[in-house]
Amino acid sequence: MNWSRSFRRITLYASHVAGAAIVAMMLLTSADVLLRLFRYPIPGTYEIIGFLGTVVTAFALGQTSVEKGHIAVEFLSSRLPLKGQLYLDGLEAMAGASLFGILAWQSAVYAEDLRRSGEVSLTLAMPIHPFAWGIAVGCALLCAVLMVDFARFCRRAVRP
Amino acid sequence: MSPVAAGIAGFVLLVLLMFLRIPVGFTMAIVGLAGFGVLVSWEAALHLLARDIFSVFSSYNLTVIPLFVLMGQVAFHSGISGRLFNAAHLFLGHFRGGLAIATIGACAAFSAICGSTTATAATMSSVALPEMKKRGYDPTLATGVVAAGGSLGILIPPSTIFIIYGIMTEQSIGKLFMAGVLPGVLLSLLFVLVVVVWTAVRPDLCQKEERAPLRGMIASLAGVIETFILFVLVMGGLFVGIFTPTEAAAIGALGTILIAAAGKNIPLRKFMLSLQETARISCMIMVIVAGATVFGHFLAVTTIPMEVGGWVARLALPPPLIIGLIILTYLLLGCLMDSLAMIMLTIPIFYPVVTTLGYDPVWFGVVIVLVTGMGVITPPVGINVYVVAGVAKDVPLQTIFRGASRFLLAQLIMAVLLILFPSLALWLPALMG
Repeated sequence: MNWSRSFRRITLYASHVAGAAIVAMMLLTSADVLLRLFRYPIPGTYEIIGFLGTVVTAFALGQTSVEKGHIAVEFLSSRLPLKGQLYLDGLEAMAGASLFGILAWQSAVYAEDLRRSGEVSLTLAMPIHPFAWGIAVGCALLCAVLMVDFARFCRRAVRP
Repeated sequence: MSPVAAGIAGFVLLVLLMFLRIPVGFTMAIVGLAGFGVLVSWEAALHLLARDIFSVFSSYNLTVIPLFVLMGQVAFHSGISGRLFNAAHLFLGHFRGGLAIATIGACAAFSAICGSTTATAATMSSVALPEMKKRGYDPTLATGVVAAGGSLGILIPPSTIFIIYGIMTEQSIGKLFMAGVLPGVLLSLLFVLVVVVWTAVRPDLCQKEERAPLRGMIASLAGVIETFILFVLVMGGLFVGIFTPTEAAAIGALGTILIAAAGKNIPLRKFMLSLQETARISCMIMVIVAGATVFGHFLAVTTIPMEVGGWVARLALPPPLIIGLIILTYLLLGCLMDSLAMIMLTIPIFYPVVTTLGYDPVWFGVVIVLVTGMGVITPPVGINVYVVAGVAKDVPLQTIFRGASRFLLAQLIMAVLLILFPSLALWLPALMG
């Protein structure tokens, strides 16, 4: 099984979810503004938009990394020889995978806290924990993508 | 370790990791987490990390970013820039350097619906460069004017940098947007002045054209109306106070999509592409904001921002000199790093200093955005120059940097004008409710 390819497919699907959340955000906000003119605002718009925001970012994390979309300072590294660049790739993958591994773990802990304490949103009384779980999933996906990157680096680094 | 020493060590580690090409948002989160762990406790640090990420990702105020990015992306993919350039070309083409002047005009107009320098530079490159090449414009002038014109993208609202600055400093995004309008228009005029003087000294850089027929000029205005309507809708709504910035962005994005769809200018494939790009760019920004939030919490326990503020106050230098030094710092940093990362990193330090000196936070926001605009065209990492180089593959990077550097003078003059006459930025926001 080609891990790299399957993860890429999952991250791409996840980023489509993020795109759909952006459209939902736009439509809901616009509908709220228009209906407000007729004195029928949509209750809870404010909190739903915030929750959709978590979906947008969390589900786009993986694809953004696949497309090398996370901004980095390339001014020194681009002057290094290829071998050096390869090691920087490895370092980036390892540091990122560690960070997002911790983030996935801590977000899951936080989500479980939220679920156990029964936290809900103010207007719609919607449970909050699924969105924290969403962040945990998004971070775990990015962690997986970066781990695959790191494995590829290891294979290339040992090659003579 | 004393908090200040830990803070300094944190900064050193931050710079080191950044130069090792670890993404800026990741770096800030890693150093913030480690620093908070060392100074407070690891348990507290891990808690803080999860809560910071959740609060940034779920922030209603920050959802303005994906929505304005979507508006800009749809405008980018639906060919609005081509129609803007066409109109500007017909009206201004017969002046000496007319196409370069038209490029500036089209950049300024496109900036009114797009909040990014790179998107503005990219879209104008693909539209204006081929025309200027066809009419024998020197590549130094042609590429330089597009790279510099793109910097208007963040000064003329909407603007991602104003949004980030507003959220970090709790200033009104609407007021910041309004504050950028006059300096944006003035800077466009200064850019035009650069073209006029430059082509007067070097008439060989460009060819003169015939005046376009009046009928063509009037017909071309149809291509400008959509941009005008969108700008008035979004900024007007914000100015009058009907919309929150997020609402203005949602209406703007929907309006841009509807106008593009009505003109059959955005096939589904391009719409999906805009959406994907929007998700990617927004995610990139949110990760930096989240990283900066974690780092900011670490910075707060190091007490460095307060110490620096107190230290600068004790220096008893004249305030304009301090502002000058801050601008110089930004110019240097802007040469090395991305504008967003630079702002995230420096605002927690400089903002308290500037407000302690009694400067208006909105005014300082405009100064920062202006200076950031210089960073996008200065070597070695002037991002706009790379964007233009991506389109003008036959023009060497140095040529584009040389061309763009001519416009740096206009930006510096604008900065001096802003320092001398703060009301250039503050007059419009003061009229708001």
